[in-house]
Amino acid sequence: MSRTMSFVTSLPIWLCVAVASAEGQRDSDGPVLGAKAAVATTSFKIYNPAGRVRIVAWDRDSIVVRGHIGRGGNFFFGGGLQGMKFGVEEDSSKGKAARSDFTAYIPKGSNVSVRTVTADIEGVGAAGWFYSVSGAIRLSGTTKSVEAESMNGNLDIDVVSPWIRARTGDGHLLIRGAPQDVDAATIAGTMDITAPSVLRGQFTSVSGDIHYIGAPAPGGIFEFSNHSGAVDMQLPRDVSGSFVLSSIVGSIENGFSGVRPAASTPHSMRLNLGRGGANVTVRTFKGQIRLRPN
Amino acid sequence: MTQVETHLTEEERQAFADDSMSPEQRSSAEAHLAACESCAHDVARLTTLMKRIHETPAPTAPLDELWPTIRARIEQSKVVPLAAGAGTGDGGRGAGEPVHRAIVGRRARWFASIGVLAAAAILAIVVQMRSPANRAAAISGADTNEAAFIAVVDSAHAYEAEAKVLLDKLELQRAMLRPDAAKALEHDLHVVDVAIAELKDAVARDPNNPALRQLLATSYRQKVDLLKRITNAS
Repeated sequence: MSRTMSFVTSLPIWLCVAVASAEGQRDSDGPVLGAKAAVATTSFKIYNPAGRVRIVAWDRDSIVVRGHIGRGGNFFFGGGLQGMKFGVEEDSSKGKAARSDFTAYIPKGSNVSVRTVTADIEGVGAAGWFYSVSGAIRLSGTTKSVEAESMNGNLDIDVVSPWIRARTGDGHLLIRGAPQDVDAATIAGTMDITAPSVLRGQFTSVSGDIHYIGAPAPGGIFEFSNHSGAVDMQLPRDVSGSFVLSSIVGSIENGFSGVRPAASTPHSMRLNLGRGGANVTVRTFKGQIRLRPN
Repeated sequence: MTQVETHLTEEERQAFADDSMSPEQRSSAEAHLAACESCAHDVARLTTLMKRIHETPAPTAPLDELWPTIRARIEQSKVVPLAAGAGTGDGGRGAGEPVHRAIVGRRARWFASIGVLAAAAILAIVVQMRSPANRAAAISGADTNEAAFIAVVDSAHAYEAEAKVLLDKLELQRAMLRPDAAKALEHDLHVVDVAIAELKDAVARDPNNPALRQLLATSYRQKVDLLKRITNAS
């Protein structure tokens, strides 16, 4: 209790220091909209309908929000150490929401839940759930886990993380950085994967093409599934892995022509490259499967 | 009902196996099975499974209490877990939940039954699929694995049922959707539904193809994911 009291009594001074600190903040972020004490276990719910939200995880026990709120928008900021909510309230009587741009600096390790409609989301070292209807989502830095979803916005996931989950409908999905477990899916959007660190990956699309560039990690387990889109794998010539490829009515193009398949039919193929290594399963209904050496 | 040239549908095979067909349908199905080795083989497998299920003692705990544990075990066996709360539609984020709580409650028992089937099948195949080589072989269809076959059938059924629940819920929320979100949903649902229709058609023609069944289950999962995603947009 006494510890809490001393924390509370020192709060005004402490906040002044935090707000005045320019470290990690950018002048271009705009004026301070809100600042509070926070800890790594504090969770944040953030909402911005239009414009841009930037979340930056920093090594401080505080949250500082800077930015510009669009005309007619109302910035709200509340909560305590357990959880906080902040963002822009829409005034439905004024029709379409004006653009609001803000940057939130949050303690590293805390969890966010960000929702936007058309606003773009950028996260730097932030963990949690990121959702936009049509805005782009770009995540980078080191984080414990991320879950990014959009109806038709583009996703660019460039994080070092043990676990990521990404979903978009028609948007482009790019996975890079150094994630370990990845579950990624699109409906019609194209997916590009250039993350050699992935140990377990599930990549799915209905009609969007899936491109994988790199060397699957030894011992990794990969599943690629597509209905009508292609699965295109661009691999190093010395790649090691066991590849099981099957397409119900699509074609299979094996660029490793020097390696004799362990089993092969017109619509399926089992190929062992190098000394085993990763286990890769590719399955399509009518999309083409291509294995291409770099 | 079914000509010899046409295979029994998924529903017909299930109904024959669990003895829920009307006498007329059953005699017609029996005639088809006598002439069609593929369907007969499939129905025999399902019948064996049903028999095992009936012989299994009923759980002592209420089914609704068992489902979270079953789901956790299913999730553990997957390559990457699904989002938490998937079994309840939108994880409690969406509106309209009180209206549908009764429906969901009734269906929870059905899901639990499906879950028991799926968990039993998945536990059986986990032992065989420990090694990556076996795993790849099962997925490719090179080894016709009965347990894998049954598991995929069950998973497609479970996803289909879950999609129906979510679609019902979506109908209540549709008016609250933003126009751009509604447009995106219509487009994406159309893409997924076309894929599902093509796959169902292909499965009807080749019911024993495990790759087709895997693709069908994946498409259903995509649909369920999409419907959950749209509830966040309202």
